[in-house]
Amino acid sequence: MSDRPLLEITDLWVTYWARSNFGLRRKPFHAVRGANLSVRPGETLGLVGESGSGKSSIANTVLGLVPPTSGSVRFGDDELAEMKTRYPSAVRNQIQAVFQDPFSSLNPSMTVEDILTEPLRVHTTMNRDERRARAVELLKLVSLSEEHLGRHPHQFSGGQRQRIAIASALALEPKLIVLDEPVSALDVSTQNQIINLLYERRDASGIAYLLIAHDLALVHHISDRIAVMYLGHIVEEGPSDRVYKSPAHPYTKALLDAVPLLDPEAQRKRRAARRAAPAQEASRVAATGCPYRNRCTSAMSRCQTEMPSAYPIDGGGTANCFLFADNGNVDAMRKRAVP
Amino acid sequence: MTLHSIDKSVSRAGRSRRLNASFVITVFAGSVLALLVFLALFADWISPYDPLQQNLIDAMQGPSAVHWLGTDDLGRDVLSRLIHGCRIAVIAAAEATSIALILGVPLGLFIGYRGGWWDWIVMRLVEAVVSIPGIMVAIVIIAILGTGLHRAMIALGILFSTSFLRLARGVVLAEREEVYVRSARVVGASDSRILLRHIFPNIAPPLIVQITLTVGAVLLAEAGLSFIGLGVQPPNASWGTMLNSAASYMDLDWFLAVPPGIAIIATVLSVNLLGDVIRDAIGRGIAVKVKPETPAARFDAVVPAASTAGATLPEREDDVLRVEGLQVMISSRDGEEVPVITDLSLGIAKGETLGLVGESGSGKTLTGLSILGLIGAGGRTTHGSIMLNGKELRSLTERQMEQVRGNEVAMVFQDPTTSLNPAFTVGNQIAEVLRTKKGFSQKDAWDRVIELIDRVGIPRPEERAKAYPHELSGGMAQRIAIARALSCNPSLLIADEPTTALDVTVQQEILDLFRDLQDEFGMAILFVTHDLAVAADICDRISVMYAGEVVEMAEVDGLFSAPRHPYTRGLLSAMPHASDRNPPLPTIRGSVPRPGSWPAGCRFSNRCDFRTGSCDQRIPLAGTERLVRCVRAGELEREGAR
Repeated sequence: MSDRPLLEITDLWVTYWARSNFGLRRKPFHAVRGANLSVRPGETLGLVGESGSGKSSIANTVLGLVPPTSGSVRFGDDELAEMKTRYPSAVRNQIQAVFQDPFSSLNPSMTVEDILTEPLRVHTTMNRDERRARAVELLKLVSLSEEHLGRHPHQFSGGQRQRIAIASALALEPKLIVLDEPVSALDVSTQNQIINLLYERRDASGIAYLLIAHDLALVHHISDRIAVMYLGHIVEEGPSDRVYKSPAHPYTKALLDAVPLLDPEAQRKRRAARRAAPAQEASRVAATGCPYRNRCTSAMSRCQTEMPSAYPIDGGGTANCFLFADNGNVDAMRKRAVP
Repeated sequence: MTLHSIDKSVSRAGRSRRLNASFVITVFAGSVLALLVFLALFADWISPYDPLQQNLIDAMQGPSAVHWLGTDDLGRDVLSRLIHGCRIAVIAAAEATSIALILGVPLGLFIGYRGGWWDWIVMRLVEAVVSIPGIMVAIVIIAILGTGLHRAMIALGILFSTSFLRLARGVVLAEREEVYVRSARVVGASDSRILLRHIFPNIAPPLIVQITLTVGAVLLAEAGLSFIGLGVQPPNASWGTMLNSAASYMDLDWFLAVPPGIAIIATVLSVNLLGDVIRDAIGRGIAVKVKPETPAARFDAVVPAASTAGATLPEREDDVLRVEGLQVMISSRDGEEVPVITDLSLGIAKGETLGLVGESGSGKTLTGLSILGLIGAGGRTTHGSIMLNGKELRSLTERQMEQVRGNEVAMVFQDPTTSLNPAFTVGNQIAEVLRTKKGFSQKDAWDRVIELIDRVGIPRPEERAKAYPHELSGGMAQRIAIARALSCNPSLLIADEPTTALDVTVQQEILDLFRDLQDEFGMAILFVTHDLAVAADICDRISVMYAGEVVEMAEVDGLFSAPRHPYTRGLLSAMPHASDRNPPLPTIRGSVPRPGSWPAGCRFSNRCDFRTGSCDQRIPLAGTERLVRCVRAGELEREGAR
């Protein structure tokens, strides 16, 4: 792993315009509010958050499906934010994706061969036989076989379809694959098969993954580093084990505490502890200051007005929380470092 | 058993009847159209007379050996004119339909995909055209172009292109939001490539139907235009001009109208029927009618007649619900009945929560629905009993079941935003249940609604009761759904994946709410979920389902500390927080078999690491307090204890 990031997102804003009042006035909705992220070559970054946190907007921006409003998305030597959604072929074939729902992400009218060779048709000059040979090769990589080439997606189970989607993403040997909830639509007993497959391909080819998911336990398994999003902000970032085992930001803690455990006894203790704690304020979105302050158990007066920046955490990574303000300011250091 | 085989033969006969009917239609329609084309091509050789040759002496004679279909007002042979009319019909249909197709589809694809101003302008034009009667538009176009068959067909083609345009646009609007279009964009396909290669093939089924409808309509319109003298010009023969002259001599010879009339009806009908058959044949596997890869075990051999084998469920005095030996069959698309639940027994006591855990296709959701008597068309409960508060639900009439639903059993579904009606305020939806089921007055119902909304932990209940479902967050909406389910104080609550669509922090709150409400109201809960960790949190006892049957049933602590069935063990070790960070993660090989392709004997046997020879036979659910459906359960347990 080299130190130079493959993907570097700096102060990214993504804004959608919602029509209101019979389309006369448009209201902005900021899905991503100044996010900073980086993925090194061959590294897996897990991006975790609840629905509406903006994690999918980041994925769509990186994939060139949604133009960024402001900020920078640098991939290798290219600035993607300037290209809006029109990536040249040389960039496009480096960034591929696997989407959540394998039932709608494969074109129902295409055969597996069509699906797997489509990227090759668009980006290479391979002839029909070469493409077919490559498709067979790809199927073998994901433990399917040549006999599946002529079939249509509806003839496969959810797990098998996701294998096909992964094979198609691997076709151009990209440097980065964006995985948008790759296993959450699958049965529990097939989820791990897909995760193992993703591992295997990463170890074999050195692909970097940007993994978008809501399940911290799952993300912890596959990721080298984890970033946690809340209402468009990245609130914590750090090495996977550190974030999972000793979360710093109160929101990350709450998120981890909410994941049910497989141990009924431990779960009962947790519930008792939760009941003992005072009830939280119902209104959740804070207009000023820290976005999480209304739900936070350790909110201070400072959180009402000031926005916390990224502070370094022992064990690696940062958290955007004033609890760690004594550790110094990373944003300030970063700004100084960039000429 | 005899009954069973009779059922089978009946369903088989039904299937072959359906098959024959569609085959007969295809042959009939196909031969009519083949004959039409044949006649059109070889009209000059086949027709006995020249269609234009007049013979005023023999005018208006009925059918005879010389003139099979008689002669018309100018003594021309009707059969010959009819045969030459085929040529006009084929040319007209082909010409107008292709013009409509070539104009309408590309434009529709383009404006549907591009949207914006293009879409706005073209659609306004189309609306203007379709708001004028079609025949008027055709007449205007003909007035500009002049009369004659080809000009009339151009007019019709332009007219009918609007329906192709709207169809193509509509399909593209729906398809361009599909994930596979996003995938194509990520792959780097250009817009035109996405349109033509990815989206266009999915338009084929509706397009074929539209083509057949248009061919029919063109034939009728050509006849109509020729009838009013704007299409084919006399003396040339077309079915329309034949009708035209027949109409003039209605009183003298009614038979003249019959041959062209029958020709038009038979052709239009055949085209439409054939279109339906083609559409069904190329329909894109929506019904997932897939032949299982492994040959399905014959079901008759697999299922015990009732729950003859195995341990019966321990009797408990305070059981609210008791299901025994339940079997549910669903008819698949080819008419065969496939078992989806077999030999299912469970009991839930007052104030108890039973978890029904399993993966997709295990039959857990269907179990809940069959208790409510809501399996829907195509499914039926064939064996077993469902006792609720000592009442056999299977023997109740539909009216009596309606009384039971809502009053004694209530249900909470997975997605609160779709299980609530978007047209009514949430308060109204709860009040409606109270008024119809409990006979509350308007005012009493509303007061109770506010109380309930307050009870499920929603702040400012008076205000929220007046909100519409889309104005609430997912968690709030699920609280409302729960309030509605509890409004009649049911003794059994069936919750089907009630937290699956919610974020984890919200899930935790909803689970807490279920606990609180159960403490207060004392209802029994059947909690259906795929998530073992959620079940560990909320349930007292758990039934693990696999391929339509219960494979293990145990108290929650026992199940998680010492799972006995290999499937339960596999599921537990596959949970993300169960294992260490290092790959490879433990997996269960293969995937969940679909109903109809279950292995004979133990249904988990083809994925099991502990399989032995005796797994090929039916395995009963065995045990006293804990029930397990595995021949090696005892062994595995000892091994686990070591």
